[in-house]
Amino acid sequence: MKKYMTAILLIVAIFTTVPLAAQETLKIGALVTISGAGASWGQNMLRAAEMAAEDVNSKGGLKVGDTAYKVEIIPYDDGYKSNEAVTAANRLVFEDKVKYIVGTVGSAPILAIQPITEKNGVITLTLGFTSKALMPEKPFTFRPNLTTGEISQPQIDWIVKSQGLKTVGALFPNDETGQQIAKDVAKAYKKAGAVMTTEFFGRDRVDFIPLLTKLLAAGVDAIELDGNSPVTAGQIVQQARDVGFEGIIIRTGGPATQDIINVAGKAAAEGLFVHSGIDLAIPGVAAYQARYEKTYNAKMNGFSPYFFDGVNMLFKAMQIAGTVEDSAAVRDALAEIKDYPGVLGTLNWTGKEKYGIAHQIDAPFYVARVKDGEEVIVARCNVNVCK
Amino acid sequence: MGFLISQSLVNGIILGTLYLLMSIGFTLVFGIMRVVNFAHGEFYMLGAFAAFFMVTLFQLPYVVALGLSFGGAIFLGAVIERIVFRPFRGDELSGMIASIGLAMILQNLALIAFSPDPMAMPSLASGAFRFGFLIVPKSRLLALGASAGILSLFYLFLMYTRTGRALRALVQDQEIAAAYGVRIELMYPLGFGLGVGLAAIAGAMMAPLFGVSPFIGETPLLKAFIVVILGGLGSIPGAVLASLLLGLIESFTSTFVSASAADIVVFALVVVVLLIRPSGLLGQEDA
Repeated sequence: MKKYMTAILLIVAIFTTVPLAAQETLKIGALVTISGAGASWGQNMLRAAEMAAEDVNSKGGLKVGDTAYKVEIIPYDDGYKSNEAVTAANRLVFEDKVKYIVGTVGSAPILAIQPITEKNGVITLTLGFTSKALMPEKPFTFRPNLTTGEISQPQIDWIVKSQGLKTVGALFPNDETGQQIAKDVAKAYKKAGAVMTTEFFGRDRVDFIPLLTKLLAAGVDAIELDGNSPVTAGQIVQQARDVGFEGIIIRTGGPATQDIINVAGKAAAEGLFVHSGIDLAIPGVAAYQARYEKTYNAKMNGFSPYFFDGVNMLFKAMQIAGTVEDSAAVRDALAEIKDYPGVLGTLNWTGKEKYGIAHQIDAPFYVARVKDGEEVIVARCNVNVCK
Repeated sequence: MGFLISQSLVNGIILGTLYLLMSIGFTLVFGIMRVVNFAHGEFYMLGAFAAFFMVTLFQLPYVVALGLSFGGAIFLGAVIERIVFRPFRGDELSGMIASIGLAMILQNLALIAFSPDPMAMPSLASGAFRFGFLIVPKSRLLALGASAGILSLFYLFLMYTRTGRALRALVQDQEIAAAYGVRIELMYPLGFGLGVGLAAIAGAMMAPLFGVSPFIGETPLLKAFIVVILGGLGSIPGAVLASLLLGLIESFTSTFVSASAADIVVFALVVVVLLIRPSGLLGQEDA
C-alpha cells in the first residue's frame, strides 16, 4: 500500500510540476501617482494594468513563444513628484529588474525618469502630457493616451465657433504640465479666433476666489480648466459658480468629468463642456467601464481604458516579437502595430510629424456636455476636426 | 478698480476667517502642551470624512453632523493624548516626532479605508449674494458665519468658564497653575481634545467648500504653521491677527499680481517676522 501511495504521489508531483516549470513570471512596474492631487489618474492606470494582467493570467498566463508568463504588476507611488519617481524608477529597474513600466502620471516625473529607463532599455507607457516626453532620442517611451496636443485644436475650433467665444480666461497649475498646456491651448484659441489669458497658481492651492474675481472683472466669456488635476478642476468649477460666474466652463483635455462632478456637485457642473475619450455606444468600452466599476466599486476615470488598451498592445507586441527579455524587439513590434482593435475602438500610432517619432496613440474622441451629472456627446472628433 | 479692491477685501476677510478656524486648534495645542501637532491636518481630514458620512450615508442634518464630529474628535483627541503624547510631556522634540508619525498613520489609514478618490460633499448653499457690485458666495458666507459663531463660543469658554481659565493658566505657566490646583491630569487630555475637536469641526465646515479626500489635511496644516509663526505660537489673539493678514495678503496679491506672487509675499513676511520678532507678532518672549 505504501509503495502504491508513493507511486501516486510521484506521478501527481510530476504532472503538477511540469506546467509550473514552463510558467515564468513577467514583472511589470506601475510607477503611478496614488497619493496627492493626481491620485485618481494614477489609481485608474494601475487598475487598468491589473485588469489586463488578470485577463492573461486567468487564461493560464501570457503565451510568448513556448512560455506562458504569469504577469505580476509591481506598483510604486510617486506622489506626482519627480524625486520620488526617480527613487521608484531606480528600484524598479535595478532591484525588481523590470523591463516595462506603466507610468508616470505627471510630465515632470516622466522627464525625470527617462534618463534611467531609456538608458536601460525599459519601455514606459506614460500619461505625461509634455511634448518633450516623446522624441526620437527617447525610443522606449510610448504614450497610449491622447494629449492636449492632439485634441485641443479640433475641440477648441468647434467650441469657439458653436458658442461664439471671444475671450477665455484660464487657470493653470504652475508646473511643467500646466505651462506646456497653457502654451498649446493659447495657440489653439488664437487660431480659432479667440483670446486666452492665463493665471498660474501652485498645485496645492485650494482657494481660487481671488483669481476668479480677476477673471470676472475682466469679463471673460469662458473659463478653461485644462491641465488641472480632477480635484482642483472641481474646486474651480464650484468656486466659479459660487462667485456668480455664468459663462461657459470648458475642460479641453484630460478626462476628469466624474471627479469634477464629485467635487463641484451636480448643480455647479451642469453645462460644463468636457473632452471625452469614451463613447458608451461602443460595446467594448461600456463593458470595460462596467467591469471596472464592479471590480473596484468606484467610478472609472476616462484615462483608464487607454491604459488597458496600451498594456494589451504591449502584451501583443511581446507575442509578435516572441520575447519578453529583448525590450528593443518588443519596442519595434509595438511601434509596428496597426489598426489594433481596443476597447476604445481602432487604435494606431501617430506623432511622426509633431514629435519626430510615432509613439503617440491615435484614437477617436468626443466633445461632451455635462447634463444632470452625465456626459452627453455633442461632437465627434478625430485629430483634424470635430463635427 | 473700486470693484476689485473692495471685492478683494471681502474675499480676504472671508478667507482669513476660514484660516483662523483651521489654525486655532493648532495654536491651542501648542500653547497648552508644547506639542507642535503635525497631525493637526489629519484630524481636520477625519472631521471632514466624519461629517461627510453622517450627512450622505446616515442622512443626519448638517448641524448634528458638526456637533457629533466635534464631540467625537474631543474624545478621540483625549484618548490619543493619553496613549501617544503623555510619555513625551515636556519633551517638545519627541512629541513633535510622535505627531509626525501619527499624521502618517492617520493619512494612510484613511487612504486604505476611503480610497484616494475625492468624494462629493453636498453644498449647503449655492449661488451668491450681491451687495451693489460686491459678490459674496452664499456657501462662504455661511461658513464665515458659522466659523465666527464657533470661534466666539470658544472665546467665551476660554475667558469666562472655570475650565477655560484653567486652560489659560496652563498656557501661561504649568507649574504655577498646578500649584494653584489646576488638575493637569484632566486638563492635558481636555486641551488636546479641544484642539483636535477644533481641527475636526474646521474640516467638517470646509468639506462642502473644498471637497473630501484623504489628502485635504495638507493645506490647513501649512496655513496653521504660517498663522502661528506670524501670530506667535500659543497666542490666540495673535492667531486672529495673523489669519486675517494671511487671508488679505493672499486675496490682494493673487488678484492684483499673481497667485505665485501671493505665496512669495506670505513666506517673505514669515521670514521677516522670524528675523525681527522671533516670537511672532503677539507672541510672548518665552513662548
